[in-house]
Amino acid sequence: MENFGNPVNTIHKARRPRRQLSGAVAALCAISLIAAACGSDSGTDSGGSTPAGDTATSDTAGSTSSGGDARELIIARDMDLQTLDPQRAYCDTCQIYLTAVYETLIGIDPNDPNVQVPRLATDWSANNDSTEFTFNLDPNAVFADGTPVTSADVKWSWERLANIEGPASYLMGGYTAIDTPDDATVIVTFENPNSAFLPVVSASYLGVVNSKVAEAEGGAVAAPGAATDDQAEQWFLSNSAGSGPYALASYTDGDALVLSRNENYWGSTPATFPKVTMKQVQDSTAQLQQLQAGDVDIAMQISVDAMGQLEGDPNIVSNTVDSYNYVYIALSPGAVGAEGLVDDNVRQAIKLALDYDGILDVTVAGAGQKQASPIPNGFIGSADLTLPEQNLEEAKKLMAASDFPEGFTVNAMYPTVNVYGVDFDTMMQKVQQDLKAIGVELELQPVEFPQWIDQINAEGIPVTAVYFAPDHTDSSQYVQYFGSVDGSSWATRAGGGAAGAQIIDPNQNELLAQALASSGEEKTKLYTELGQSMMDANIIVPLVNSQLVQAYAADITNMHNSACCNLELNLLGLK
Amino acid sequence: MARYVLKRLAIAPLLLIGIVTIAFVISRLIPANPLVSIVGERNMGNPTVVAAAEARWGLDKSIPAQYASYMGNLVRGDFGTSFRTKSSVWDDLTERLPATAELTLAALLFGAVAGVLLGVVAAVKRDRALDHLARLFALTGSSIPVFWLGLILLFVFYARLGWLPGPGRLPPRTLPPPHLTGFYTIDSLAAGNFSLFWNCAKRLIMPAFVLGWGLTGIVSRLIRASMLDELYADYVRTARAKGLAERTVMIRHVLRNALLPTITIIGLSFGALLTGAVLTETIFSWNGIGSYAVEATRTLDYPAINGVCILGGAIFILTSLVTDVMYAVVDPKIRLS
Repeated sequence: MENFGNPVNTIHKARRPRRQLSGAVAALCAISLIAAACGSDSGTDSGGSTPAGDTATSDTAGSTSSGGDARELIIARDMDLQTLDPQRAYCDTCQIYLTAVYETLIGIDPNDPNVQVPRLATDWSANNDSTEFTFNLDPNAVFADGTPVTSADVKWSWERLANIEGPASYLMGGYTAIDTPDDATVIVTFENPNSAFLPVVSASYLGVVNSKVAEAEGGAVAAPGAATDDQAEQWFLSNSAGSGPYALASYTDGDALVLSRNENYWGSTPATFPKVTMKQVQDSTAQLQQLQAGDVDIAMQISVDAMGQLEGDPNIVSNTVDSYNYVYIALSPGAVGAEGLVDDNVRQAIKLALDYDGILDVTVAGAGQKQASPIPNGFIGSADLTLPEQNLEEAKKLMAASDFPEGFTVNAMYPTVNVYGVDFDTMMQKVQQDLKAIGVELELQPVEFPQWIDQINAEGIPVTAVYFAPDHTDSSQYVQYFGSVDGSSWATRAGGGAAGAQIIDPNQNELLAQALASSGEEKTKLYTELGQSMMDANIIVPLVNSQLVQAYAADITNMHNSACCNLELNLLGLK
Repeated sequence: MARYVLKRLAIAPLLLIGIVTIAFVISRLIPANPLVSIVGERNMGNPTVVAAAEARWGLDKSIPAQYASYMGNLVRGDFGTSFRTKSSVWDDLTERLPATAELTLAALLFGAVAGVLLGVVAAVKRDRALDHLARLFALTGSSIPVFWLGLILLFVFYARLGWLPGPGRLPPRTLPPPHLTGFYTIDSLAAGNFSLFWNCAKRLIMPAFVLGWGLTGIVSRLIRASMLDELYADYVRTARAKGLAERTVMIRHVLRNALLPTITIIGLSFGALLTGAVLTETIFSWNGIGSYAVEATRTLDYPAINGVCILGGAIFILTSLVTDVMYAVVDPKIRLS
């Protein structure tokens, strides 16, 4: 943080030295055919231990993408971007981009997901029953083009988010009006209490767009009908219209997202780096190698196993930090072929038969935590719940008392993905092995994600595995998605998808309504009850709350993991 | 020959329509939902969002209606908009094609030249150490997994030794040369930026080697076998009897005839390499058609899948035509009709 606002010409341009040649050189002889062909050429060019790739960088005056002595920050990441439209975007990488370019009214303290900090709004308040929220905008706030951020822009952005019927539109669900009594005041009214709204406002998807620019140049529409009338998505692929510390410079799908510093930035934490390039590097090993070679400054998806290769490298910092992302299995008693799971004893036995510590070891080499309920560690309502433990004896007793004392065979279709460092194939094999001990035989069926989603929504899947990362910092999202409440995805899926019947628990509905109308300790108590209720339903079984590996150049400061925004680029600095 | 070429070109659109139709039908038959990549997994249970996305992307129509609409647009030169990138598929393909073409040509050049040289050496030094070494090289190239080879090369020559640059077409912190062809080597030369040219050329070495090694093996074995067949032919004996130098006999007579079947392989390999550079592009962060095709397939991006199929089909049609024509050029006995 102490480096914020550093003049860019103080940033050293020198490259981090490449790792010293190790004994592995001996192994090269095995591939000496091309070594002989290439060695003489590159040897003269690269000179010493400097990476061959650097030569052109320093030699090609006029071709280097950052001018003068300024250093460009390069991040290696397997990007999941599909759009740069702030109201249509919905992904992990989107959170980083949107946070850098489109500011929200409220931010989240990266060190505590439950602490809100001012951004575009200087202050905010809610009425007693959490149906009306008032925000006062900072009069100094301006967009990158220098025009002031007004309440009309906030209203336009949020209405567009709601009306565009995109993936993040649900965040504006239930509002009845957005009033703008003056340029600096925004009042949002909800039909029902919605204490989640302030945390929701901190979600990057609620960033504010320069409405005049987006309408005039991009053809953006915020009014009802935007879902069909809005034509701005392609415009947003090459333009941005925000007030954040960065602006979009260029984007090439499959290659790189380039941001340039907003020189008109009005806030107190301007960007240190004049340019940020997020480079598409799909393979985590390639990310590691490029970090070691000094070609990138941050590698975002290094596996825990690979961290050992970075040990002892004085030019790289690597560590693990807690995250709010987790992987879970779901037991759906209403799914086709899930007769064995209808008995609650069986589902409880399955939970008790799982070797949670072993799963953590096998999947993330222990770099993770157990999690009690769908509300992850660190969120309101998670602290007082009991973490799961394996109890095979009790599990066998429950099976014996169930409708299937001899056990049964059941389908376990799951998407073949590797997320948060967890390889689903490995994890599901471990789960399969654990459940054999109580006579439950899983028929593992790995499939591609689109196929999985088709099945889960059509008929449900008896036993499956999925993952979750938060969109904002309120616990309500976990109940609304996992709970047995109206509108919940898993209430439908666990009940057998479109072909089945939703599993609704009126008590959870009632508790959620109360939680959305409460605050403080009462809110914590209600979400704790909801967490316990979801645990007792034995439908969602969290397995791995994985830690995040941070690997970056040693001169980068203030590396962090934000619950709302993933990585806030303007908070990064240089030693 | 001109009539033959025109006839082949005239039936190309019919072949492409067949390819598009098959790709269209197969992609729709897969029991999977492309909407998940558009609206996200969490919104698949939200009927409002799903309906809006279906209407926006034309997925609410029947499959025959979708097909009719797609073909109608195609006739007008509209390849559609990618579900995933939200850009025109035509723009996506033309943006990525130079990257793949540059890599493929480099791989083809390496594969063909090294293959021919190895084949000649192996034939001339039959059953001697060099022949065995050439066979070993060929077999290894044909059997080694591309993914593994790419990672090992990167580990050794980039991460450890630093002899060659890492993944990507450009050095870090460097802008592309002014666009002329999309081939960074050519464009940097045209811009007079020799340093960038050299760097871009070095960045081609590893991926081109990985992609072309398999071809080297095939070509070298083919050349060797063909040359051995020709070495004992009457005309070779006659050439030697005339007192021609052995080098002349080998290059002008034996190799020229042995090249004939190899041209077919090299020609068809161009299409295969161009559309098959998937793993190589992934490992070397090469933003080409291969990686685009993988993402399109993974996310069931129908317009992109169809676009890649059309492009791949067109490339195969053209390369097989060029191969046939070259065949006739190399061997005057062959008449195309």
